[in-house]
Amino acid sequence: MEQIARAAALLGAGICMGIGALGPGVGEGFVAGKACEGIARSPENASLITRTMLVGQAVSESTGIYSLVIALLLIFST
Amino acid sequence: MTKKKKKFLKILIVFFVIEIVILLISGNLNKELHIGLDDSGKFVIKNIEKPFDLQKKILEDFQPDQYLEEEGEEPQIYGSEKLYNFFKNVFGQNAIGSFRLLRMLLIVDLLLIFLAILIRKKLFERPSKPQILFELIYTVFEEFVDETLGKKNLHFTPYIVTLFIFIWTCNMIGLIPIPGFMEPTRNLNVPLGLGIMAVAVVHYMAIKTKGLGKYLKGYAEPLPPMAPLNFISELSKAVSISFRLFGNILGGSIIILVVSSLVKFIIMPVGLSLFFGMFVGTIQAFVFTMLALTYISAEIAE
Repeated sequence: MEQIARAAALLGAGICMGIGALGPGVGEGFVAGKACEGIARSPENASLITRTMLVGQAVSESTGIYSLVIALLLIFST
Repeated sequence: MTKKKKKFLKILIVFFVIEIVILLISGNLNKELHIGLDDSGKFVIKNIEKPFDLQKKILEDFQPDQYLEEEGEEPQIYGSEKLYNFFKNVFGQNAIGSFRLLRMLLIVDLLLIFLAILIRKKLFERPSKPQILFELIYTVFEEFVDETLGKKNLHFTPYIVTLFIFIWTCNMIGLIPIPGFMEPTRNLNVPLGLGIMAVAVVHYMAIKTKGLGKYLKGYAEPLPPMAPLNFISELSKAVSISFRLFGNILGGSIIILVVSSLVKFIIMPVGLSLFFGMFVGTIQAFVFTMLALTYISAEIAE
């Protein structure tokens, strides 16, 4: 029984990381693409756009980080 | 110049070949070389066969107390037994882990204080090289504060710069390959403390600029029944800002550990250290300070 629970926890960690990385990946790529468009349109604002892009990407990355924390909890606490 | 470069390239290639040969030889070895004194006091060099378990290695690196408890080993005490007993009385089960964390924090703090004293001693009208570096950092962050908060609130700059330099030093100090060295931000307690501090500053400034009545009224913004939701959103600010830093640094160090265990700890993963140590560490320190600045500006700006 214990081994089944352990196997389920490891499987759950893999699924959690796999699905949890989908959203941030799509979101960060979208933000980077839009930033590229913005820089192409107005190159004199490049530093401001890059800074805003980095902060926005970090915010949208947080859901991925939550799934990483949950995966680590599943692996190391069961 | 070119001759020197050729010589350097030759030495590099020789080292690379040696590392690859060692890697191929050690591929199916599960042995550890021990050099030192035996229990009886004899000097010995011997191979000890050890089954390698990745999860135990990670546990040993990240939660040393739990590892010792599972293995049933007694911790080796170097130095004074009094100090260990004191830590065990104060922290209970996590004596060794918290001692390591406090040691690293102390090293970072002493480094920063020492640097500050050194820089402060040699301030000139015509700046020296280190002075230019620190003035550059200060000026860049002063511009950020000026853009987001306005000329009136430039007194926030020392807090923001200190936050950035502290987190950056914490992230960088894990790159030094000494056993026992780790990033203090790898432990959840450090980012959580920094995040709670940032949120406390935000709320203090909100009360100071708006007044207590208007501040409390802000919680019942669209409708009075929404107050608990607003309160939870304020709490989640501290949680999200600290978990972001913690998760990035912890994930990076676990990936570095796993990859270097695949090559049996022979080759230092320089590329991975460059990406997960320097790049991610700098970006996350920057993002932490920028988010703290954004939270402050959202409360102050009217």
